[in-house]
Amino acid sequence: MTTDLAVVSRARSGDGEAFRLLVESHSKAAFRVAYRMTGNEHDADDVVQETFLRAYRQLARFEERANFGTWLHRIAVNCSLDLLRARGRADRHYGGDPESAELAGAAGARSDAQQDRLLLSAELQTQVAAAMERLSSNERTAFILRHFEGMPVEEIGKTLGIHVNAAKHTIFRAVRKLRESLEPFVRPTPCNT
Amino acid sequence: MQHLTEEQLIAHYYRDGDAAVAEAHLASCDECRAQFATLSDVLALVDQLPVPERGNAYSDEVWTRLRWKLGSDRRRSRVWGTVAAIAAALALAFVGGVLWHGRSQQIAPPRGVIAQRTSTTATTASNSPSTASRDRLLLVVVSDHLDSSERMLLELSNADPKHPLDVTSASKRAGDLVASNRIYRQTATRRGETRIASLLSDLEPVLAELSHAGSTLSPDEIAALQKRIDSKGLLFKVRVVSAQVSGQENVAKASPKGMDSL
Repeated sequence: MTTDLAVVSRARSGDGEAFRLLVESHSKAAFRVAYRMTGNEHDADDVVQETFLRAYRQLARFEERANFGTWLHRIAVNCSLDLLRARGRADRHYGGDPESAELAGAAGARSDAQQDRLLLSAELQTQVAAAMERLSSNERTAFILRHFEGMPVEEIGKTLGIHVNAAKHTIFRAVRKLRESLEPFVRPTPCNT
Repeated sequence: MQHLTEEQLIAHYYRDGDAAVAEAHLASCDECRAQFATLSDVLALVDQLPVPERGNAYSDEVWTRLRWKLGSDRRRSRVWGTVAAIAAALALAFVGGVLWHGRSQQIAPPRGVIAQRTSTTATTASNSPSTASRDRLLLVVVSDHLDSSERMLLELSNADPKHPLDVTSASKRAGDLVASNRIYRQTATRRGETRIASLLSDLEPVLAELSHAGSTLSPDEIAALQKRIDSKGLLFKVRVVSAQVSGQENVAKASPKGMDSL
């Protein structure tokens, strides 16, 4: 952290090499969050570019007490959201891949043997990706921020510009949809009822 | 027994709810425990969603593309800095000239009286060498001012109103332009240059708004400014007047007597 702060301080004074070091340290993490948010490699690459560009322009506003990685992460989230909104995906359900959706729909009818095979196959990943695709933009974002990034619900609300209760319900809806899509792929847990 | 709701199970998974209550219930309820196990398994599946790996060269690729953009940012910033410095110097020179001229008129009124009494030529005060100099100076500073303002209006007009716009540096430039704009407008009004005074009068609120914008313009603010620029045909007027002023400036340079009027 101390290293980051020293490098940020140099970058602020116009040291291009220092900013290159920040790119080197944080570009992969920025890509990971961007990819999870956008679900697309090319979009994620664009978001990474835009994230560092914004970070550079806003370096003067970075508070030195803060963690640069966290600050950059927030910028990456906002850039991803901007991209999704610019493409008119906001509050619209992802269409997803029809073939994947069909596969997911048929999954309930698969035999245990098939399910065993699926558990280790790449197809399972396709099912998970398809389930994520079926979430709306807000649901996907809220879920990713909570599940992968561990962001508190209050922060998610602020990021999405919605009330904390709305953020909570958005996460619930996302998890419920994922459960509906993916429950057939997990081994049923014995239940006494 | 009242079971945990799905919302409570999800909240418990993310440790957002009352953990003690949920734990106590799960310890005594097979059905809820099964539900919670299924939920955990589903979310564990989601964890398997892979993120494409980026190799060690990724940061170099990002930096290579970024460096060009950052370079153009810095170049633009340097150009704006130079323009602002030149404009400030010219404005200072202009104001100084106006003050000096006013003072010299107050100090030597008899010369004007004598000139009126003994006038044998058509020469008037308005086309005296000092007036011509002031005209040229005014033309130069107004021309530069309009160029700078035009670039700023262009940046605003081309901004995407769907996204917030970082105007940290533009806001500072606008602050400088507002100050110059006020001086030029007052001078133009005083000298009866209504066309220029009217344009500068339209320009001033836009520049003032931008100078007060702080670091970021929201999409609504961008849209409002773009609407104002469009509704007044501001960009078009600036270009027209700028071209006219530049033309007059060239004539003024060629003529030692300068221009009587802008």
